[in-house]
Amino acid sequence: MEFNAVYFWESLQSGLTYLPRTMELTGIPILCGFVFGILFAVVRVYKVSFFSPLIAVFVVIYQGLPTVVALLIFNLMFMANFNAVSSSLSLGITAAQIDNIWIGIVVLSLQAICNIEEAFRGAFYSVDNGQHAAALSVGLTEVQTLRRIILPQMLPVALPMVTNNIVGIIKNSSIVVAIGITEVLAGASIPASKTYSFLESYIAAALIYWVLTACVEYTFRRIELRGRKYRRQLA
Amino acid sequence: MIEIKDVQKSFNGQSVLKKVSLQVEDGDVVAVLGPSGSGKTTFLRCINFLEHADAGELSIGPKTVDLNRASKREILAVRRKTAFVFQNYNLFNNKTVLENIMEGLVTARKVPVKAAREKAEESLVWVGLKEKRDAYPAQLSGGQQQRVGIARAVVLEPEVILFDEPTSAMDPELVGETLEVIRKVAHRGITMIIVTHEMSFAREIANKVVFMDGGVVVEEGTPEEIFGHPKEERTKKFLSRFINAESMYYI
Ligand SMILES: Nc1ncnc2c1ncn2[C@@H]1O[C@H](COP(=O)(O)OP(=O)(O)OP(=O)(O)O)[C@@H](O)[C@H]1O
Ligand SMILES: [Mg+2]
Repeated sequence: MEFNAVYFWESLQSGLTYLPRTMELTGIPILCGFVFGILFAVVRVYKVSFFSPLIAVFVVIYQGLPTVVALLIFNLMFMANFNAVSSSLSLGITAAQIDNIWIGIVVLSLQAICNIEEAFRGAFYSVDNGQHAAALSVGLTEVQTLRRIILPQMLPVALPMVTNNIVGIIKNSSIVVAIGITEVLAGASIPASKTYSFLESYIAAALIYWVLTACVEYTFRRIELRGRKYRRQLA
Repeated sequence: MIEIKDVQKSFNGQSVLKKVSLQVEDGDVVAVLGPSGSGKTTFLRCINFLEHADAGELSIGPKTVDLNRASKREILAVRRKTAFVFQNYNLFNNKTVLENIMEGLVTARKVPVKAAREKAEESLVWVGLKEKRDAYPAQLSGGQQQRVGIARAVVLEPEVILFDEPTSAMDPELVGETLEVIRKVAHRGITMIIVTHEMSFAREIANKVVFMDGGVVVEEGTPEEIFGHPKEERTKKFLSRFINAESMYYI
């Protein structure tokens, strides 16, 4: 099999024009993941009635679902029901008018929320209970204790796991080709439909993903190191 | 005056405190003794609402609160009149020594940062750890951590400080320096309730001794009464074990 540098370059350019799509497809889920993941972790740690078991059940079910399967199910449900829901609410839009990237964003967001929720919940238990009692004993409220004592110590514990999860989400995002969303992988493959230079296309896509995940890893490792200053050992 | 009345607490149906009461006058140093599992820690934690009692009353000065039905505001008010020194120190690991001492002042009592820092520095000098002000807890020995824990409590100028076995988690050679600081707290006239297994220390600093066993106060009195002439059989038995153990050191 020959490697054609010209085709590779074409594919790389084509893939890069779709980078904003991949960023959207991963950026929004990561953001949702942080906001709702941390919120849900707090709800579960404090055993908030009704919501806590609800989240627990959801996480168990969703974590056991392969991303492709979730995509296919959500896609099908969307196609089958959107028009009916839209007309009953007289929104005046049809399924065909909606960019199906949103299905991918929803599926990946739910995954990010589950992952980050689990990472933060685990990290919460790593901060020993005594400090919680100590904070209350000097007169802090629960919320102040959480914000000033518990969360700052959870972050460095949770971050390595969160970094892995985010890298996983980015890599996983390419799976949306299954429902016909065009992002970096599909974009890089466009030139190949004429030239049959699939190897060049896939390697171009791989390169883009690799650089993207490397950037994310680097950024998060830097944050990790900064959050860790108090863990210095005895001098 | 602090009055604690009929505190009851059970865990999973097992009764740990059965109507425990205690009266503490201002400036009193009360030593609470008792075998492991007798409910000493639980008793202290109930006073500070770190444990939710099933029943009981707490009066600090003129104000009385129900230990079971206190509102959030009442709980906060009690916590701001009391301070706790923990067996495992429980310093805030993400904060420096100075920040640990300032936290309650600044966040809970809204003391301006500058004034809080001055007070914190003063109390740090007082426990003899001035040079450690910017260290993190992980960089300190157990004894040093506990001295910071004591400074963190004293700086709040509470009506009472609750000590739960303040020296029992540290290496024996560090116990002396920590007891020295606790002695200073007592000499300052701060009211304190101290759970301890350091019998000779209790005898020396306390003006009131309480012996607990099985979730009840078995006997209370002056150090002279409890250590010198215990009336109850259970007290005698408990103390004899310690007297024997302690006198071993002198042989
Ligand atoms: N959170 C809890 N859940 C269940 N049981 C508990 C809890 N805390 C304490 N207990 C039980 O309550 C009893 C009294 O415990 P407590 O810690 O008050 O004893 P203590 O007198 O402080 O003992 P020690 O001298 O060992 O510290 C023990 O039997 C203990 O197992
Ligand atoms: Mg105890």
